[in-house]
Amino acid sequence: MVKKIFLSIKAILKGHFAVLKHLFRQPVTMEYPEVHPFLSPYFRGRHVLEGCRGCGLCKRVCPSDAIIIEKNDNHYVNKYVIDYSKCIFCGNCMFYCPTHSMKMSGNYELAKTRKSDLLTDIYFKGV
Amino acid sequence: MNYLLCTLFEIKWLPDIWAVILVSVIGFGVVISLLILTVLFLVLAERKLLGFFTQRKGPNRVGLWGVLQTTADAIKLLCKENIELLSSDKFIFTIAPIMAFASVILLWCLIPYNSEFHLINSSVGVLLYFAIASLPMIFHFLAGYSSNNKYSLIGSYRSLGLTCSYSIVLMLSVMSVILVSGTMDLDKIVLFQSKTWMIFSNVLGFLIFFIATLAKLNRCPFDLSEAESEIVCGYHTEYSGMRFAMFFLGEYAELFVMSMLVVILFFGGYLPPFGMYLANAFMGNCEFCSYLIYFEQTIWLFIKTLIIVFVIIWIRATLPRLTQVSTLNMFWKYIIPISIFNLIMIIMMRALW
Amino acid sequence: MDKMVLNLGPQHPSTHGVLRLLLELDGEIITSVEPEVGYLHRSLEKMAESKSYIQYLPMVDRVDYLSGFFYSYAFCNAYETLNHIQVPEYANYIRVMFMELNRLASHLLWLGTYLLDLGAISPMFYTFREREDIVTYFEKVTGQRLMYNYFVFGGVRHCDIYLDEALRIVDNIYNKIDEYEDIITENPVFLSRTKDVGIISKQKALDWGLTGPNLRASGILQDYRSIMPIYDDLEFDIILSSEGDCYSRYIVRIYEMRESVYIIKQCIEYLQNINLSNVPLNNFYHKQKQHEGEIYSFVEAPRGLTMCYLKSVGEDTPYRVKWRTGSYYSTQILKDILKGVYLSDVMSIYGSLDVVLPEVDR
Repeated sequence: MVKKIFLSIKAILKGHFAVLKHLFRQPVTMEYPEVHPFLSPYFRGRHVLEGCRGCGLCKRVCPSDAIIIEKNDNHYVNKYVIDYSKCIFCGNCMFYCPTHSMKMSGNYELAKTRKSDLLTDIYFKGV
Repeated sequence: MNYLLCTLFEIKWLPDIWAVILVSVIGFGVVISLLILTVLFLVLAERKLLGFFTQRKGPNRVGLWGVLQTTADAIKLLCKENIELLSSDKFIFTIAPIMAFASVILLWCLIPYNSEFHLINSSVGVLLYFAIASLPMIFHFLAGYSSNNKYSLIGSYRSLGLTCSYSIVLMLSVMSVILVSGTMDLDKIVLFQSKTWMIFSNVLGFLIFFIATLAKLNRCPFDLSEAESEIVCGYHTEYSGMRFAMFFLGEYAELFVMSMLVVILFFGGYLPPFGMYLANAFMGNCEFCSYLIYFEQTIWLFIKTLIIVFVIIWIRATLPRLTQVSTLNMFWKYIIPISIFNLIMIIMMRALW
Repeated sequence: MDKMVLNLGPQHPSTHGVLRLLLELDGEIITSVEPEVGYLHRSLEKMAESKSYIQYLPMVDRVDYLSGFFYSYAFCNAYETLNHIQVPEYANYIRVMFMELNRLASHLLWLGTYLLDLGAISPMFYTFREREDIVTYFEKVTGQRLMYNYFVFGGVRHCDIYLDEALRIVDNIYNKIDEYEDIITENPVFLSRTKDVGIISKQKALDWGLTGPNLRASGILQDYRSIMPIYDDLEFDIILSSEGDCYSRYIVRIYEMRESVYIIKQCIEYLQNINLSNVPLNNFYHKQKQHEGEIYSFVEAPRGLTMCYLKSVGEDTPYRVKWRTGSYYSTQILKDILKGVYLSDVMSIYGSLDVVLPEVDR
């Protein structure tokens, strides 16, 4: 009985000092708006499209139908819109692009105040 | 206090009765402002410390190092709407947080901050303190009962059950202090410890009192009446806005005042730890020093109290929560027998000496 | 005496999601329990029938956001077995390594939130600190923190994995587990909350279909890793505890984390010895006709046995996908074991079962 009480007091003190140790360690907090996290080249953020031929494979592999491609009369890509309200950033459009023209950048700050602003035209230049 | 009163009596600037009232109001104002400042500091200190204990930075956005965080929170709570259910008992629901906070303020008036400033100086100070200290619990119960919420109801009867477990222990351990010092006057208990602190003659009593204090304050590991992971928020689940802030700030004010009582009963209150005042040590026995000593005494009291508060926060950072059943078991089966044993030992010591 | 019906959830701080427990209380003692699920139903099974295999693959991670790799693996494995796709050995090792890291992350999160349910604050932040390391590593390799989309049919996306960093992380975690044990394991308050609370006997565990650590804590030697072919070359122990109470479930998970570290180290050792730099990328799009047939693949996930039933009739989309997840069964057993316990023990029992609601509802 006495031994049990003694052991439990010892365990409580051990726990307390294990917690106290952390008081003298450096905080691991990352102050986000001032400090930005390191992002690897594989990070899947906002899409960047360069040299698209408009084959439409990305549209086929997209799980959430977030891609809208508009073509002109000569079958060139006129408009390449990604609906960020639907996009789940799975990266399928990037992985299965036959010409490797779809890339995903490290830009993850995509918040907008209106839903219509999330329909983003990301098409820069065709071939 | 008495000094101010005597001066007012002497200069005959006011009728005597008005002088007494004026002095009381001034004293009360000092206590209230102390309370508000301390609580604002304490909430921040707890959040900061819990942050440091878990390798975070704590609040650091509002003001320099986040010093204005609690002020901002208080302003936010003041601006919020007071929501009440249609089915709640409006009168009790409204009055319970006010009364709970008021009774905590009353506790602050009982504390001797230094050898001169003692707002309510009673010869049965300890008894008066505990009589008032049991009031918040009743209003916590009423708050939970009147808000007509099942979680609040569970929280309120849990807090009543907790009262059953700790109050006897609290009084038994205080009785041992009274027996050692031979007085119930808080001022005299402090002066009794001018040679040695009470904790050296009554270690077991201190440990029991400290555990019972944790239970009284609803602090971890006895925070089962507001266990947020079980019964959402306990008795103040339905409260919002300033009514919630009353409970919240009252809790912290009570935390500080109970820690002050621990210091007064066991750690020599406002007396300096080295048996000598720093003001005297550095400046000799001048007249200015005798005024400075009053401030020093208050500072010593607060420093000791903050150490106790630190330990309480440290315990909160480490321990999980006990259940209702195990709390009752612990108090009734282990701590009450131990405290009775302690009391008998103290009586025997008193009889032998 | 009248009984009080307490509606615990769907929005409650410690139901870890949207579980609704209809408790009938007599004072603080529970007389009957009715767990209600379905508040987080996303129809992931039905969705599969309208999406191609490639389209469905990123969805699979969302069955359980805390251990996405296991579900990816189960689905990929089902597809590969059905279509006779050979997975290279290095890819199997990478898969095991990532799954075990994910198991570590999942158990760490469980440990933190369980102790938060019991009222301890600090362990949650400590475990999240270590989990953050793992999740950041996943982000570095796969591109996202929780929804990886990294396992593909026939292997993994790419082999640019930072092995040194993985080694550093698991070494760090191995030391930190001791630190958690210092705070928790012998703590009398913790013991009073968990010892002899929520006992699940062997028979009861089998009757209700428990799997994974919950079953092993009841003393039944059943770990599907031991019969999974990808674990064949790896050495590890199966952790067993006989009590069946909350404490033994805690102990089983703590020791399982150590075993996971051990497995990961073996994988890293293997992967360091082979040249991963000239391995081709695995982003092919399957144009060929899908094989017909049905398959039931399995994997030992952190929350118990996870099975994926896949039926194909030769079309581009699956004909039927069915998930069997561990949490669903852990939720149902609450009906039995919560009877007659105190309200404050509900959280310690429910938390110890490690239920994650998206996995229950799918």
